[in-house]
Amino acid sequence: MSRTAAAAAGAGAPSARLPAPLRALLRPLSGEGAFPWLAPLVVMLLIFTIYPLLYNIWLSFHEYAPFRRQLEFVGVVNWVTLWSDTRFWGSLGVTFTYFFVVLTIQLVLGMAIALLLDSDEPGFGLLRALLTLTLVIPPAITGMMFLLMQDPEFGVISYVLQALGVIGENHPILASRSTALLGVMLADIWQWTPFMVLIFLAGLRSLPPEPFEAAMLDGASPVQIFRRITLPLMWKVIAVAVLIRGIDVFRMFDYVFVMTSGGPGTSTYVLSLYAWQQTFSFIKWGYGATISLVSLILILIIANLFIKFARVRW
Amino acid sequence: MATVEYRNITKRFESFEVMRDLSLSIADGEFAVLLGASGCGKTTLLRMTAGLETVTAGDLLIDGLRVNEVPPRDRDIAMVFQNYALYPTMTVAENIAFSLEIRRVPKAERRRRAEEAAALVGLGEHLARYPRELSGGQRQRVAMARAMVREAKVFLFDEPLSNLDAKLRAQMRFEIRQLHDRLGTTTIYVTHDQIEAMTMADKIVLMRGGTIEQVGTPDELYDRPVSRFAADFIGSPAMNFVEGTVEANGNAPAFVAEGIHLALPVSLTVAPGSPVVCGIRPPDLVLNADGSIEGRLVLAEKTGPDVQLHLSVAGQDFIATASRDAAVEAGGLVRLSVAPDKLHLFDPQSGRRL
Repeated sequence: MSRTAAAAAGAGAPSARLPAPLRALLRPLSGEGAFPWLAPLVVMLLIFTIYPLLYNIWLSFHEYAPFRRQLEFVGVVNWVTLWSDTRFWGSLGVTFTYFFVVLTIQLVLGMAIALLLDSDEPGFGLLRALLTLTLVIPPAITGMMFLLMQDPEFGVISYVLQALGVIGENHPILASRSTALLGVMLADIWQWTPFMVLIFLAGLRSLPPEPFEAAMLDGASPVQIFRRITLPLMWKVIAVAVLIRGIDVFRMFDYVFVMTSGGPGTSTYVLSLYAWQQTFSFIKWGYGATISLVSLILILIIANLFIKFARVRW
Repeated sequence: MATVEYRNITKRFESFEVMRDLSLSIADGEFAVLLGASGCGKTTLLRMTAGLETVTAGDLLIDGLRVNEVPPRDRDIAMVFQNYALYPTMTVAENIAFSLEIRRVPKAERRRRAEEAAALVGLGEHLARYPRELSGGQRQRVAMARAMVREAKVFLFDEPLSNLDAKLRAQMRFEIRQLHDRLGTTTIYVTHDQIEAMTMADKIVLMRGGTIEQVGTPDELYDRPVSRFAADFIGSPAMNFVEGTVEANGNAPAFVAEGIHLALPVSLTVAPGSPVVCGIRPPDLVLNADGSIEGRLVLAEKTGPDVQLHLSVAGQDFIATASRDAAVEAGGLVRLSVAPDKLHLFDPQSGRRL
């Protein structure tokens, strides 16, 4: 007796009652001959993910020789160079600063706005819908907008900050070492905080009302309820939002590319910009690939540490 | 310890009125059960007591003080919710001790009191577990321990047993009542289950469509229901109802319907010839060879200790409760009698007791 026949003969197997062609169609789902079904996905993964990754790794052990116009094997030279490359370490520092500051502000601000918008009063539905607006703008355009708005001559942000006395007369926000990174961060925070708000709102609105009512009766104040009930219940949602945004923020490219090109000096010179410049400006494909790989490895390490750390018991 | 008083309470959701002019007072230490079908306003009344719903009009007093505007956290009320409302992110011990944590009770004492409360409901070994690791009955106990540890003025229960299986429900009924007898805290308990109301209550408040139908002890509601609705709601199996008229044979009044002739108490003041609805509780219908009611036995339903006899009397369905050893046979004829003082007469129009 074949396995199929045995399975079909099994007590109450519903497939036994199906017509033969339908049974044949369903067979792959039962575990036999599953490959044809998986093939499209496997092929896509191979072409679009696995191959580029392997090629990138291969590339990091080679370098383009401009005069001979070919890739040549250079061993671990790229990796050794990277180790003593101050420019690389500098850009890593900028990337981490950007990463922690932007993520923290988006997280805190996102939660605060989400709590404010979590209401059934009339009008709040519209406010929540408006949140998606910043998300449909291409980041490069947002970068251009903030570049113009922070222009010391006619930019509205510069004007307001000068009027408030936060910055000096004609202070060029994006062209000063002290404020350029903050200027770039502003664009990111403006564009992506609503994303955090949307995720947090979805989380907040799906929370059961009873624990909150119970906590009220137990005598908890709104702050205590937030700290002991809302925040722990939202932990998984927060973790997902931080993970998604974290990966995005770490490899941020558009804003610096459009707004500062890494300057002034190296004050906004992030890792992805460095990789881009090595690869496409200096045609050092191997070195560019090496920097990207480091970026990937760092993201993997941070993300996995985070997932491990953020695991909840309840 | 506290009294709870409702004075002319009205509640509207938007323009929809769910409660009108309801007045009720609950004495200190009393176990009051709000009983009614879903939508009758019993849970709304409970949630208003807790402060989870606003009072549209009227006064709500706890211990003589008007609390309409007092937020829930300042009312000193403990509540057990229908779906327990445990804090999912806290262990059993943390759940129970949360109110103490809020009141800044020292950690050691918190621990001690949580352990005491947990032991009282038989959860001693589960203190470190999370709610999702517990069964429904255990969660229910955590919710109770959480309320007990509070030593609040008033305990509120919102259908706390409706998610449990029958056996556990009976056990928890007993435990909640015992708990009340031990602590003596004023308790308001909402249920749609008349058995819970009958077994636990000092006072039953039967509600219907946002108003109170009858307030009384379980015995009062069972023996002297004020209306056909109250009579029908209390008791299982439900009361039998027959439409007929009152007739007077000299000075001996009787209830007469097709195939039925029953003597009424002499003291009755209903005018002869009046149409009435007569109610008879199934256990009051007694098998009696000389009985005046003759019925055909359709089905004998065994419940263990006794038998529910489903009868057809002159084309009308009746249920009588008999002892299990009653010599009856499906399809056969049986004769039944009722003591005159066990008959309940209601006005066919208003449904009020006569």
